[in-house]
Amino acid sequence: MGGCHHSRVVPQSPGDCALPSMAAHLPPPPDPQFVLRGAQSPVHALHFHRGAQGCPLLFSGSQGGLVHIWSLQTRRAVAALDGHGGRCVTWLQTLPRGHQLLSQGRDLKLCLWDLAEGRNAVVDSVRLESVGFCRSAVLAGGQPRWTLAVPGKGSDEVQILEMPSKTSVCTLKPEADAKPGMPMCLGLWQANSSPRPLLLAGYEDGSVVLWDVLERKMCSRVACHEEPVMGLDFDPQKARGVSGSAGKALAVWSLDGRQALQVRGTHELTNPGVAEVTIRPDRKILATAGWDHRIRVFQWRTMKPLAVLALHSAAVQCVAFATSGLLAAGSKDQRISIWSLYPPP
Amino acid sequence: MAVFDTPEEAFGALRPVCVQLTKTQTVENVAHLQTRLQAVSDTALQELQQYILFPLRFTLKTPGPKRERLIQSVVECLTFVLSSTCVKEQELLQELFSELSACLYSPNSQKPAAVSEELKLAVIQGLSTLMHSAYGDIILTFYEPSILPRLGFAVSLLLGLAEQEKSKQIKIAALKCLQVLLFQCDCQDHPRSLDELEQQQLGDLFASFLPGVSTTLTRVITGDFKQGHSIVVSSLKIFYKTVSFIMADEQLKRISKVQEKPAVEHRVAELMVHREADWVKNTGDKLTILIKKIIECVSVHPHWKVRLELVGLVEDLLLRCSQSLVESAGPLLKALVGLVNDESPEVQAQCSKVLRHFADQQVVVGNKAFADILSESLHSLATSLPRLMNSEDDQGKFSTLSLLLGYLKLLGPKVNFVLNSVAHLHRLSKALIQVLELDVADIKIVEERRWNSDGLNASPKTSAAQPWNQMQRRYFRFFTDERIFLLLRQVCQLLGYYGNLYLLVDHFMELYHESVVYRKQAAMILNELVAGAAGLEMEDLHEKHIKTSPEELRDIVTSILEEYTSQENWYLVTCMEAEEVEEELMMKESGLQAITSGAHTHQVTSFLAFSKPSPTICSMNSNIWQICIQLEGIGQFAYALGEDFRLLLMSALYPVLEKAGDQTLLISQVATSTMVDICHACGYGSLQHLINQNSDYLVNGISLNLRHLALHPHTPKVLEVMLRNSDASLLPLVADVVQDVLATLDQFYDKRAASFVSVLHALLAALAQWFPDTGDLGQLQEQNVGEDGSHLHQRPVTLENSTTAEDIEQFLLNYLKEKDVADGNVSDFDNEEEEQSVPPEVDESDTHPDVEPPLPVQIQIATDVMERCIHLLSDKNLQIRLKVLDVLDLCVVVLQSHKNQLLPLAHRAWPSLVHRLTRDAPLAVLRAFKVLRTLGGRCGDFLRSRFCKDVLPKLAGSLVTQAPISARAGPVYSHTLAFKLQLAVLQGLGPLCERLDLGEGDLNKVADACLIYLSAKQPVKLQEAARSVFLHLMKVDPDSTWLLLSELYCPVQFTPPHPSLRPVRLRKASEQQNPYLANVLLLLRELQ
Repeated sequence: MGGCHHSRVVPQSPGDCALPSMAAHLPPPPDPQFVLRGAQSPVHALHFHRGAQGCPLLFSGSQGGLVHIWSLQTRRAVAALDGHGGRCVTWLQTLPRGHQLLSQGRDLKLCLWDLAEGRNAVVDSVRLESVGFCRSAVLAGGQPRWTLAVPGKGSDEVQILEMPSKTSVCTLKPEADAKPGMPMCLGLWQANSSPRPLLLAGYEDGSVVLWDVLERKMCSRVACHEEPVMGLDFDPQKARGVSGSAGKALAVWSLDGRQALQVRGTHELTNPGVAEVTIRPDRKILATAGWDHRIRVFQWRTMKPLAVLALHSAAVQCVAFATSGLLAAGSKDQRISIWSLYPPP
Repeated sequence: MAVFDTPEEAFGALRPVCVQLTKTQTVENVAHLQTRLQAVSDTALQELQQYILFPLRFTLKTPGPKRERLIQSVVECLTFVLSSTCVKEQELLQELFSELSACLYSPNSQKPAAVSEELKLAVIQGLSTLMHSAYGDIILTFYEPSILPRLGFAVSLLLGLAEQEKSKQIKIAALKCLQVLLFQCDCQDHPRSLDELEQQQLGDLFASFLPGVSTTLTRVITGDFKQGHSIVVSSLKIFYKTVSFIMADEQLKRISKVQEKPAVEHRVAELMVHREADWVKNTGDKLTILIKKIIECVSVHPHWKVRLELVGLVEDLLLRCSQSLVESAGPLLKALVGLVNDESPEVQAQCSKVLRHFADQQVVVGNKAFADILSESLHSLATSLPRLMNSEDDQGKFSTLSLLLGYLKLLGPKVNFVLNSVAHLHRLSKALIQVLELDVADIKIVEERRWNSDGLNASPKTSAAQPWNQMQRRYFRFFTDERIFLLLRQVCQLLGYYGNLYLLVDHFMELYHESVVYRKQAAMILNELVAGAAGLEMEDLHEKHIKTSPEELRDIVTSILEEYTSQENWYLVTCMEAEEVEEELMMKESGLQAITSGAHTHQVTSFLAFSKPSPTICSMNSNIWQICIQLEGIGQFAYALGEDFRLLLMSALYPVLEKAGDQTLLISQVATSTMVDICHACGYGSLQHLINQNSDYLVNGISLNLRHLALHPHTPKVLEVMLRNSDASLLPLVADVVQDVLATLDQFYDKRAASFVSVLHALLAALAQWFPDTGDLGQLQEQNVGEDGSHLHQRPVTLENSTTAEDIEQFLLNYLKEKDVADGNVSDFDNEEEEQSVPPEVDESDTHPDVEPPLPVQIQIATDVMERCIHLLSDKNLQIRLKVLDVLDLCVVVLQSHKNQLLPLAHRAWPSLVHRLTRDAPLAVLRAFKVLRTLGGRCGDFLRSRFCKDVLPKLAGSLVTQAPISARAGPVYSHTLAFKLQLAVLQGLGPLCERLDLGEGDLNKVADACLIYLSAKQPVKLQEAARSVFLHLMKVDPDSTWLLLSELYCPVQFTPPHPSLRPVRLRKASEQQNPYLANVLLLLRELQ
């Protein structure tokens, strides 16, 4: 955690942890590296990508249905992809093979874009059955085949597809008496030891569920929140995850050897509503997107609050980390802020 | 055409005179012979050569005293013969040579005989001609060892003549002859080049003369400047040709270790020299002393041809004797290098040519010894440079720096050997820093302010050939000659070009940080290093040199830029205005906090020392220069990177724009030209393009800096400059950032209102300009009429038409009808008609009566701004109130077509505006009245009753009470505020009355208050303005105005049209006493 103590970032918001009397002696709150303007619509999804020739890119999905591609070098939009008929883009993800981008829209379509060599065309799309808020998840390695988890036809179902053939592997439906409500967020991963893909899903009733995809079995379920789970992220190395909800708490839970989920602790927030939780790839810090217009940064190991970033003038809807450590946050105020905090060594 | 073509004829003709001469040796006889010879053809002469020469040689050899005249004529005759014939026998050649030489030799002494100058000249020419007449290989056989004594004799004779004679002609001739003797003649008669063996033999022979030749010639060369340049030039030439021939590396390397036994007698053998290693070493050492002497003297010779010859000397010796004269290489290179910047273009050109030649041949870089010597020279120059820069005058500095420049050019990439030595880099940089110290005592720089806040009126000029070389004229403490600055820049550029850029930039960056005393110079040097590294128009002598790559250069520029524009180097105190200083200090304090956590604590102390409570003029001046140099640097960086610089605009453009809005004239000018530089370098067509296409970067900076306004007090200025120099395409981004601006204003409006109000002003001015309202034209015209008396004649013609009976009747009918309406007797018919006519229009124009269309962005902005203005109108600071009134005025202009937004805001602003109009300082009243006029022009109905109730009585009252004062006042009065206020009110009232469509009672109030100003006792301008009020009143109500005016003065007597009507009685004072006469007459004329 050596890198964390080096930066000048200090908690700043009066509501969180800084004492008001100390405020005069504190350095000014950290500024973003820069702010991207021009999305012209609330931003709902962000995803970093190392573009061709190592020129880093950021994808943003807007309520207006466009996916903007931003060059982080020139800090300008280089292209706008229009594939969702003007409906909100809720999720973006690139595939490790080739320059391919997945975008999920409220038009019930999941598009696969080919971006290689300056192309930007939809090469394939998946029809979605659910109009919910749930973002999809993907599990892709170097192989041509990859796995996709999408909200299913039934309101409480998650559908697993094998891509690119789009063959349905299974549908994960909670038992009748469980009644967790709609899935709100998904996370697919694969433990190093076993080839079995696992799915973490946050549900409307505030519970987080671990699914064994191949056996279509709910391995474990833990009630973390009293409000719907809005976002979760999982650290396979530490076998720990974090989730945020519409309520005032962040929950940290862990997974033991027998694939049982266990709540490790909760962290109370000043204001309710977390739209997304993301752990940085180096697993040093995590960031939350707050409905209270704030971005909050925590130390992942200890969950110690590190910074409250007040910049946006409307709810923050998404946060994303680049492998370089860069943090991006997209907000309803149509701006995307880019931050360099506690840069990794 | 010769008379005697054949030898026989010639013989016949010549024989008698030859015999005669042999018998009696007199001048006359010689003359006879010579006369005859003229008529003999060359071929015949050749046949008879020996025959003719005989009497002449006989005469010379005859013992006994001879008269000089005779010898001279014999020699001349001999010369004549030789010039037309060839000498084909070696013996003859040698004998003639001896005999001629002997003519100048007095047998008693070793010295040349004391003979007449004419004779000396004749003999010298004779010898010259003799050597030229030698046929073919004869000449080579002449130079056999046995000739050595005789040749040596002649050589020393000629040297003596060249050195000691008074006559310039003899000296020149002697030198020429010496040239011939030493086989250096450059005339066409010796086309054959010598083979190696021949060269070596000659070299062996001449080597004996080298000591004599070199020392004597050195004495000649270093003699008095007055002796004439041609002598020095010839001597130089002989010197280096001789030396380079005898000491040629080519020859010396073939010399065997052991001397062959020469087949000559012992006496001669002793004279012979064997050019083995020891000899070469000794001779080289001795020559070095001479060469140094020569260089020392000649490099400062006033005549350029001499210096040009020195270049030849260096070239020849360095090219041919690089090994044998290795000791001299240092001085020789130094001489060459020192001439690189010679004042004579010929010398410069030749010098560059030689340098280029050296570079091509790898003479220096390929030759380790030379490179070492050069490095050594540069080392020692670097060592003494600080001292030299301190002690020398401008001329001295110029030559020293020229030398430095030359070394750098010659060393090329090898300059790093020197730079890698910390001690030497330190020396070099210390000298540069020292000599570049600026003179910052000029107070004018601090005083000159940028008053007009118009757009940046610098159109990119493309005329300049090397735009990156243009900069603000500056003054240095230690020199005044502009050429020295140029040299220094070249030196730095070369360092940047050849040197290790990382090393250099690091070093000078350290100096930049080290002390305020070094900072400006270090920045200048850094700028030039980068320009040099980019190799803009750099003349490269070393073609294989690898330049700094664009990526590296960009990294370096980025880091320098970061440093330049950092908080503590960019925001320096440059003026003493209270607000500014306060802001700066506040910023400094908070800046400190941010920095103390960082690593550079020494920076803090250095600028703490600099930001003492009251900065001196000098320190502010120094700060101004610091900023300017850094700005210029940014321009240079842009040129260095070209289009690559576009990427850096995201961090560079904002600070430059900030400085373009600076109050100090110099800074603002330099920043503007930096922007022009950026335009050129990055390929933007104009400043507007530059700003428009990078507005996203600017807006990003503005919006982030607004978050810490205390740290970035100049942020509003950037927005201001951006707005002033852009167009409507900027609106979406502006709208975005305006929200930030307003939010920050709401947060800080007690402390920083002033800077924000000026931004709001710029913003609204921009909006008004970007979205001109077509309805604006009327307002403009109306203002013209109101303010300019000369427009009185262009009044509408309707008033001039004579009124007909029908008009009167119609008027009456209308009057009655209006009276009825006013009394409330409205007929139903009229009402229905109106109701029917209105609804269809609504239907057409608005299909969704419930949904209001979104407001245009500019209207939304103006509404938001006007909202703030209402609060700020009552600010306690007068300056802010004035500015706010201006903004309010612009808001009204922008909002004029959106009454739904304008009217409620105007309603809310009204009480405060009235307060300004009635109870504020005169200046504020003036501005408020302007707002009132604008408002009146846009929303008349809305304003009418409010105006009449709240404002008019007060205005009229003040006009009335002020009138007696202005009537009594002297000419100075027109400079007072009171006068300006009166004038503004009078000028404004007319249009206002017309726009507001005031009722009769209120019009009368206006008329009553203004009448007094028609008096001739009032200042002329007030009279004019009062007249304009009445002109407007005439438009509204011509009749009552007529009546009112006629009450004052009526020029005509009215007779009633019918006896039943009573006669009209109007006042008619006597013309002399009525003060209103002139103005009333003018006005009545308009009414007719």
